[in-house]
Amino acid sequence: MCTEDRRWPKLPQRARKEEYYEELARIINLCQSIRAKGEDPFLVDVPQKLQVLKRLLPQWKLLDELLMDAEALKELSLMVKLQSDWVKRRASGLFIDPFLVEVKIKLLGKEELASALLAAWRPLIAAEQLTPKRLLEALDYWRVLLPLSQRMKEIEAAQFPEEKTLAVSELIRLKFLSERAFNEEVRRLQEELTKDYESKGGPIDYWKFVIRDTYEETLLRAYALSFIISNGYANLIINPVEESIMIETAGKQTQRKGGKSVPISITYEKWMTMKNSIKTEGIRNE
Amino acid sequence: MSEDVTISRKLKKAAQLLLFQHHRLPGAKGWELRKVLGKDYMKIIKLLERRLDELGLEIKIVYEDGIDHQTPTEEDLEQARFYVICRSPLQIGEVSLSGWRIDTLAVLAAALAYITSKQGRATRNEVEGLLREKFPDWKVDQDLNRFIRKGYLDEDEEGNLYIGWRTRAEIDLKTLVSIIAGSSQTQQL
Repeated sequence: MCTEDRRWPKLPQRARKEEYYEELARIINLCQSIRAKGEDPFLVDVPQKLQVLKRLLPQWKLLDELLMDAEALKELSLMVKLQSDWVKRRASGLFIDPFLVEVKIKLLGKEELASALLAAWRPLIAAEQLTPKRLLEALDYWRVLLPLSQRMKEIEAAQFPEEKTLAVSELIRLKFLSERAFNEEVRRLQEELTKDYESKGGPIDYWKFVIRDTYEETLLRAYALSFIISNGYANLIINPVEESIMIETAGKQTQRKGGKSVPISITYEKWMTMKNSIKTEGIRNE
Repeated sequence: MSEDVTISRKLKKAAQLLLFQHHRLPGAKGWELRKVLGKDYMKIIKLLERRLDELGLEIKIVYEDGIDHQTPTEEDLEQARFYVICRSPLQIGEVSLSGWRIDTLAVLAAALAYITSKQGRATRNEVEGLLREKFPDWKVDQDLNRFIRKGYLDEDEEGNLYIGWRTRAEIDLKTLVSIIAGSSQTQQL
């Protein structure tokens, strides 16, 4: 047996001693297994196992050996306790064949089971009381309790803001965006797109067109571009194999019938990554 | 102070200790009673039991090992918990007052009888497997959790179910198991 496989690797590995250790290990494992599985504790012949411990005791010299012996003795004492409980339970009349009970439970109806419980049930009587001490504590609590309106404000302030999707109309209503300014931005971006498309003579890379130096500006361009595409002035060409997204202008407005939505997520991390990759590519081209 | 007055005062105190909940669990431990009522507390308890008998109530002593002791030692009594319970089982008409449905009572009866037959311990999976043959999954799970919360069952971290403190106080397991094991299908509620 290799050292790593042994239950007590610190103990010396000598052939005869190994056998003794295994003998102790068997006793400990048997007791632990019976306890864990709730099996009959009388499966352990305690006097015989004690004889084994007595026979082996003179062999133990090291502290770990004695600890192992003590562990085996403790397990055997637990077996004695289990055996005692077992006898008490049988004597108390609570012993009954589990298989019989299982079969009966399966055979009986709900009403019969409930009826059996009622015949054996004598409810407990107890009253919860309010003591003068608890009343004083309640009074102290009431005195320092803020009005509900104030507490609600604190609760609202403490709440973590949820992510929410806002429509342009909501942004305009919140005065975050001016309708006129937004329309102007869409028109300006459409002109820029047409110009880029013509100068390149073909589709433009989505990320190169959208990404700008600030995250806010990038989001605004992406948002405005989505309006241009939705209104039919441009199309997205998605290549899932190359994972590329290109934009082409439509020349004139096209009617979209049953078009599909393409969600493009621009998180802060995504913006940073794309910005750096575009910058690196620009340096390389130069 | 005359002896009668002293006894009367102790009786009131004992009733308060047993009927009003002072801790997480109702009732009182033997050592608590001894501390308040003195070393002859068992005599006061016997006197109180006579008074409670007129009201259809009795005092139940639940020993720490969960087994009835015919001749308990002082230590057994001090570690035991004393409760006040109804002297007679509930009548059928009173079942609705407890707020429990018949099928919930049936789940509890089956779970308790099964765990008792397995020497007071069974894995939750075993109990659920048995109950799911008769009751829907959601009900079994919901009811077992309810029984654990109320103290009828106990559950350890390894997923074993045990008989809870409330069952020891309220339910005569010997009667329950013998009715179930010896029942015929003709019995009706």
